[in-house]
Amino acid sequence: MSKPKLRARMASLSFSEKIKILEKLRDREEAIVATGLRRKAKQVSDQASKESSK
Amino acid sequence: MKATLEAINQMQADGVIGKYAIGGAVGATFYLAPAATVDLDVFVTLPVAGTGLLVSLSPIYEYLKSRGGKAQDEYIVIGGWPVQFLPPSDDLEQDGVSNAVSTTVEGVPTWVMSAEHLVAIALKTGRPKDHNRILQFLEQDAVERKKLGRIIEQHSLTAKWKQFELRFLGGPR
Repeated sequence: MSKPKLRARMASLSFSEKIKILEKLRDREEAIVATGLRRKAKQVSDQASKESSK
Repeated sequence: MKATLEAINQMQADGVIGKYAIGGAVGATFYLAPAATVDLDVFVTLPVAGTGLLVSLSPIYEYLKSRGGKAQDEYIVIGGWPVQFLPPSDDLEQDGVSNAVSTTVEGVPTWVMSAEHLVAIALKTGRPKDHNRILQFLEQDAVERKKLGRIIEQHSLTAKWKQFELRFLGGPR
């Protein structure tokens, strides 16, 4: 399914269904923050930038 | 979110707040595909207390803290959602609260700002994420352009809208 079609399908869901998706997205974001994955990913990315600029 | 909205409705029933409307990313989700957000923006009118001109959110925070709400920076966490209460800062936001659309979340009644008010407020605020949201409303054909035009004109946002059109839409549409 194309992105615009998927967005249109998601937009047509009821507000309650969309809120459930928001809650899942929020929980996933919190889990990522809690494990420090985002910080590690940033460190890896910063390191890669430094090395490529050498 | 159900528990959050029930608490806000109870607060309204108890006279701590007047009319309210959900704005921000959660408000936009009413019209668009869901986009990740970690907080809930609630625009609230406050009952007039005395003759002072300063608006105080203390009654809201005291009320919610006494019922288990937890303060966290500018938010108060209710039912797992950090909620920011925003008294309308101008006529546009006041208009957005007055003309909010009623809906329900899992059977709990609530109010969301109209798509056109959300877009006009995003235009006024003007951060990159606000511009992105306006583009989503336009791409997903989720705004009534005539109504949006009226609101933009009424709240003196015409120059900002022209700038936005020029920058993001390649000129007037």
